[in-house]
Amino acid sequence: MLKDVTLGQFFPGKSILHRLDPRIKIISVILFIVAVFTASSAVSYAFLVLLIGLMVAISGISIKTILKSIKPLLIIIIFTAITNIFWTTGDNLLVKWKFITIYAEGVRAAILMVTRLITLITGTFVLLTYTTSPMALTDAIERLTSPLKKLHVPTHEFAMMMTIALRFIPTLIEETDKIISAQKSRGADFETGSLLKRAKAIVPILIPLFISAFRRADELASAMECRLYHGGDGRTKMKVLKLKFLDLAAVLFFIAVIAAVIVINKFLYY
Amino acid sequence: MLEFKNVTYIYGAGTPFEIKALDDISIKIEKGKVTGLIGHSGSGKSTLVQLMNALYKPTSGTVLLNGEDINKDAKTSHDTRFKVGLVFQYPEYQLFEETVGADIAFGPRNMGLSEGEIKDRVMRAANFVGLSPEILQRSPFELSGGQKRRCAIAGVIAMDPEVLVLDEPAAGLDPRGRSEILGGLMEYRKKRGNSLVIVSHSMEDIAEYSDNIIAMSKGKILCSGTPHEVFSNFDILEDSGLSLPEVTEVMHKLKTAGANINPSLYTVDEAYSELLPKLRMKK
Amino acid sequence: MSTIIKVEDLKFSYPIDENTYREVLHGLTFEIEKGTFTAVIGHNGSGKSTLAKLLCGMLAPSSGKVSCDCDGKMLSTDIEDNFFEIRKNFGMVFQHPDNQLVATVVEEDVAFAPENMGVEPSEIRKRVDEALSIVGLSEYALHDTHKLSGGQKQRVAIAGILAMLPECIIFDESTAMLDPRGRDEIIATIKKLQKEKDITVILITHYMNEAAQADRIIVVDGGNIIADGTPREVFDKDELLYNAGLEAPQSSNLVKRLKNAGADLSETVLDPTEAASVIMKTIKQ
Repeated sequence: MLKDVTLGQFFPGKSILHRLDPRIKIISVILFIVAVFTASSAVSYAFLVLLIGLMVAISGISIKTILKSIKPLLIIIIFTAITNIFWTTGDNLLVKWKFITIYAEGVRAAILMVTRLITLITGTFVLLTYTTSPMALTDAIERLTSPLKKLHVPTHEFAMMMTIALRFIPTLIEETDKIISAQKSRGADFETGSLLKRAKAIVPILIPLFISAFRRADELASAMECRLYHGGDGRTKMKVLKLKFLDLAAVLFFIAVIAAVIVINKFLYY
Repeated sequence: MLEFKNVTYIYGAGTPFEIKALDDISIKIEKGKVTGLIGHSGSGKSTLVQLMNALYKPTSGTVLLNGEDINKDAKTSHDTRFKVGLVFQYPEYQLFEETVGADIAFGPRNMGLSEGEIKDRVMRAANFVGLSPEILQRSPFELSGGQKRRCAIAGVIAMDPEVLVLDEPAAGLDPRGRSEILGGLMEYRKKRGNSLVIVSHSMEDIAEYSDNIIAMSKGKILCSGTPHEVFSNFDILEDSGLSLPEVTEVMHKLKTAGANINPSLYTVDEAYSELLPKLRMKK
Repeated sequence: MSTIIKVEDLKFSYPIDENTYREVLHGLTFEIEKGTFTAVIGHNGSGKSTLAKLLCGMLAPSSGKVSCDCDGKMLSTDIEDNFFEIRKNFGMVFQHPDNQLVATVVEEDVAFAPENMGVEPSEIRKRVDEALSIVGLSEYALHDTHKLSGGQKQRVAIAGILAMLPECIIFDESTAMLDPRGRDEIIATIKKLQKEKDITVILITHYMNEAAQADRIIVVDGGNIIADGTPREVFDKDELLYNAGLEAPQSSNLVKRLKNAGADLSETVLDPTEAASVIMKTIKQ
């Protein structure tokens, strides 16, 4: 069912990762991504995997959840692995059978690429989406992009739109489920028939969904007006973002990680 | 008619998020009767209802319609949806066609009926719910809330199901709207002779219209039987936080205070006739 | 007692097309006393929801006047400069639990209004914590709003209004989409607000047993006020209620019918407990 989607969900908690300033987390993720792309030796990848293990342990998020979040991306991961195995050529031939040729370099590239993908995904999830409330995240994006306000970029409005979108995605998913069940109860068939027939079958879902989304938007606008919303001017925030020692430490830590990766690449190349 | 045999339903079976929504349920929905289904949100009512027309498949146990397993194969499940009509809560949010008539015709058209038959059924269904023929040409989105609700109900009635299941058909309506919708459904059942299952939070409505009541709590049947039988289980209902019809509550309070009366009455009329001879008259 | 809302010859028309209007409220005059709990009842389409929106300045009157007491000054709702003050003091809780929550996390939603008002962060924190404690959701502060029950969502919405520190809260059919348990939660919260916070409450509803809890009931039908009084006074007029598409609670109904048939019952009752005790007095042993 649609409801089971857990991609990009927030798990409230009190770990160090939860307490970091969201702006610092965005910067840290960028630094982490740089580190991942810098890595070229197997040892540096192992180092990053170890780092991820540490972050997962600190965050208190279960391994099961992490594995579940990787599952939807499995196809991409497998595709990456296959293309690397079969398309990388090198000097050390491992298998040659009919048109299939596999080189040791290919296997290595596949393993490294898959590790790179998984560290990227898990790192972003653990550092950002799983441990940062969507509100804090949009808040951080708004603040990081605030210099653009001078160029008349409506950064507050974008952040608000994102907040509302995040708020209503689960509501609309639930509603879609309900409409599908209701139309199925009237004999609608979404599973069989030609492509055209199936495309047509979506109309009875889309129209009620759109109408409901507009109705919700209308009601939400009234409710926001009642709660004195008038754009970003003169607005304060309950949670003031103040950089602490911990935040500085986090940035330094991830810069150190990049440095470490460069050093490992150079001296422990495998 | 419609029968549940040891039905268990588990959401997310096999995942760490398993929730047992229904636990070994066995019930019979009798032919031509009105069955009222009561219980709190989360008691399993909505799951039960969606098992009735094969939208959900039981984790274990079977659901039988006229002796046949409705989950036997995909075709039987699909055909069951025409025999067991299901009206969801707030069904007006599922309207989508350009005209009321076309929307009501959606179900019959999916059944593959002839144009003439579809037209016939639309007219009849609209008539049952009290929508006048000229409304059929209008857009469903121009109608009032109550009319939209009726249009949506007509869309299911038009499939002429043997069992009509309605989840909170009167939710959010005012007293007059409630009695119009529910009264209309009773008329419909009388004329067609089919079965009706009504899910409701309103004990007063359930008491007034049901022949049989099934009370649910935490995925199990709490008690079932005629309204008299069910509402005499005052303690059981109260323990699981279900209320009694208001008038039944009055009668129970009188009984507890020592009055010599029959406490399991559930309509104002009944209570009135029971009490009047026992009261002192004004001089 | 002082007046918090003053309504004078209030008329309201909706535009149907460019030149035609349909009048839905035909000249209402009444006042709401500070600190009271008033229920406005009427069938769907009676004009009661339009009235609710006019009382908090969400709509401006077509003619006549609505004035709201904001810190000792009576401000008229048809002057745009007054909007901010009026909305700050007169909050509104809507019907649909899902469509009035802005944020994904409970406490962040409650903070929304004070943030808009430009309140100091430390003060916002205080207001949010207090508002959540009043509605009994303190332990849900960090929960996901989407996963709450209907009654809990409406309580978050109430907390979101409370954080503005309003004088008056208008509930526009806020119980209509809830189950009985959720409705009880909201009514209990309303009574607590009135008693502990001295907040004026106006509840728009068509559930009679909710209206029975109010100090005063105003019955609206066809755009006019057809009855106005205490619940006892209003429920006594069963015929008038019936003609307005409403009905008194079963307890009141039963006692009234027994009384009309000549039974020696003199009082009008509001709930089963009262009905039982009144009947018990005249029952033959």
